[in-house]
Amino acid sequence: MEKIRIEGVSFIYSKGTPFERRALDGVSCSFEAGKITCLIGHTGSGKSTLVNLLNGLYRPTEGKVYLDGEDIWARPKKITDIRRRVGLVMQYPEYQLFDETVYSDIAFGPKNLGLDAGEIDLRVREAIAFVGLDEALLSKSPFELSGGQKRRVAIAGIIAMRPEVLVLDEPAAGLDPRGRREILGGLTRYVRERGITLILVSHSMEDMASYCDNVVVMKDAKVFMQGTVDEVFSHPDELDAVGLDTPEITKLAQGLIQAGIVLSGALYTVEDVRDAILRYIGGNAQ
Amino acid sequence: MISDITLGQFFPGSSILHRLDPRTKLLLSLLYIIGVFLLNTPMAFILYTLITLSLILASRISMRVILKGIKPIVIVLIFTMIINILLTSGEGEPLFSFLIFAVYKEGIIRAFFMAYRVIMLIVGSSVLLTYTTSPIALTDGLESLLSPLKLIKVPVHLFAMMMTIALRFIPTLIEETETIMNAQKSRGANFTEGSIIKRARALIPILVPLFVSSFKRAEELAVAMECRCYRGDVGRTKMNKLKYRLRDILWLTVGALLFAGLILLSVKSAELSALGEAMRILFYKI
Ligand SMILES: Nc1ncnc2c1ncn2[C@@H]1O[C@H](COP(=O)(O)OP(=O)(O)OP(=O)(O)O)[C@@H](O)[C@H]1O
Ligand SMILES: [Mg+2]
Repeated sequence: MEKIRIEGVSFIYSKGTPFERRALDGVSCSFEAGKITCLIGHTGSGKSTLVNLLNGLYRPTEGKVYLDGEDIWARPKKITDIRRRVGLVMQYPEYQLFDETVYSDIAFGPKNLGLDAGEIDLRVREAIAFVGLDEALLSKSPFELSGGQKRRVAIAGIIAMRPEVLVLDEPAAGLDPRGRREILGGLTRYVRERGITLILVSHSMEDMASYCDNVVVMKDAKVFMQGTVDEVFSHPDELDAVGLDTPEITKLAQGLIQAGIVLSGALYTVEDVRDAILRYIGGNAQ
Repeated sequence: MISDITLGQFFPGSSILHRLDPRTKLLLSLLYIIGVFLLNTPMAFILYTLITLSLILASRISMRVILKGIKPIVIVLIFTMIINILLTSGEGEPLFSFLIFAVYKEGIIRAFFMAYRVIMLIVGSSVLLTYTTSPIALTDGLESLLSPLKLIKVPVHLFAMMMTIALRFIPTLIEETETIMNAQKSRGANFTEGSIIKRARALIPILVPLFVSSFKRAEELAVAMECRCYRGDVGRTKMNKLKYRLRDILWLTVGALLFAGLILLSVKSAELSALGEAMRILFYKI
């Protein structure tokens, strides 16, 4: 079932000035309920613009955005309700922290929802656990944390609002591999547990292969391809044409295949390839 | 969107105004601004309107952009006009009166002139300077014009550098404000509803991150400049040296002639000598 559907959406920055720029051009795509969808595309292809439309921060110049089949701009006065249902973590969210302690910063969103102190406390602690931060940090100033910790605090701030749809714009950009795994792993575990729809913006084909169900590929302000991970990976030449590389591990597997080691099945993650190799060895042993 | 503000923005282009030496444009706008305050006959107003229109044509900036630049001050302007109309008393009978106010012909004329002057001031200086001169060229020109002050130990270069940096970071700051506002909106912040106190409090989540990043950026910039051995203007050469050309001399001559004509037009009936009157009006108005 579709959670969010976008129909013929165009978005123009600085409309009516010489700096006018069409960042989205007739984009249509949909995001399935309870699934993890990866939004992928090269720099400047319009990914961030698209996610800012999903929770009504921007209003489409043309076209419609539907949440559960309802046009989110049907009643512009109620757009804050949409923002509560669709939680958006923007690119580089660590620059938005402002409060004195990590605790009160994470509590900012729930407070705006009008929750009572007990509920807020519950949600803050739950959120911080999901992003893998220690409770000892709660009383610290957010400005004393490392970049990766700040990022997690910012993500926790949205999780604590318990949105139905979680949208993250490059949550793992600029983090080391372990940090990436922890953040993305924690997030995917959280959304699968709760049946939340997750939309993940990424540059990385590896992330997409390891964490996502569906993929939307963007190119030059348009949707270039859309489907399940397997469907999209079955068009390596087209992916190459948009400047998206197949994962390193897939290249390795292809190298092995060319060397005569016949691997089968999906070969997009290290685990895939490990299993394929084990199958191959097992098959040869019999 | 805030980033759509056009007042004070540079629009790259290749019109004759774009190509003039920044010093020429600075001098011309000085004359232009003094001229605005000299206007006091209908003939002079017509002349000024024509001059301004030809400047707009020469800049090849679209009328839409110019009107957009005036838009932010329209409300203030209307408000001051009303105050002017209501509070100016004149000789003879009022045109009409209501409550405690009496409206005189003088008040209306004064309000009109005031609005006309402000609009001309904004249009003229944006077309002559900000719209058609890059911030760098502008400060270069200013530094060069003010360089005689170096003799009396005024740190002209320092001021010019500070201005360049400030101008350079205005768009960045606007962009950042917008990003942070969007981020806090995503967390349920509301800047447009509630009492004044509530709205003022709602600004904290914007201002704190903005200050933090501004200080951080200032520090990084300072380090970057020192790494490139910046140590003020002593012994510093310029890549693009300013040079007066024939067209600059032509424009300056025409400007000076028009200015002289304006003085004659404005003060021809005065008892005082033309120049004395001009100075008097000038200092009185400023
Ligand atoms: N605030 C803005 N004003 C004007 N143009 C913008 C603005 N933000 C983005 N753009 C332009 O819109 C286009 C799409 O930008 P967007 O940020 O959506 O790309 P992206 O796919 O998220 O890129 P990245 O992977 O680098 O984050 C770009 O060409 C960009 O220059
Ligand atoms: Mg982006």
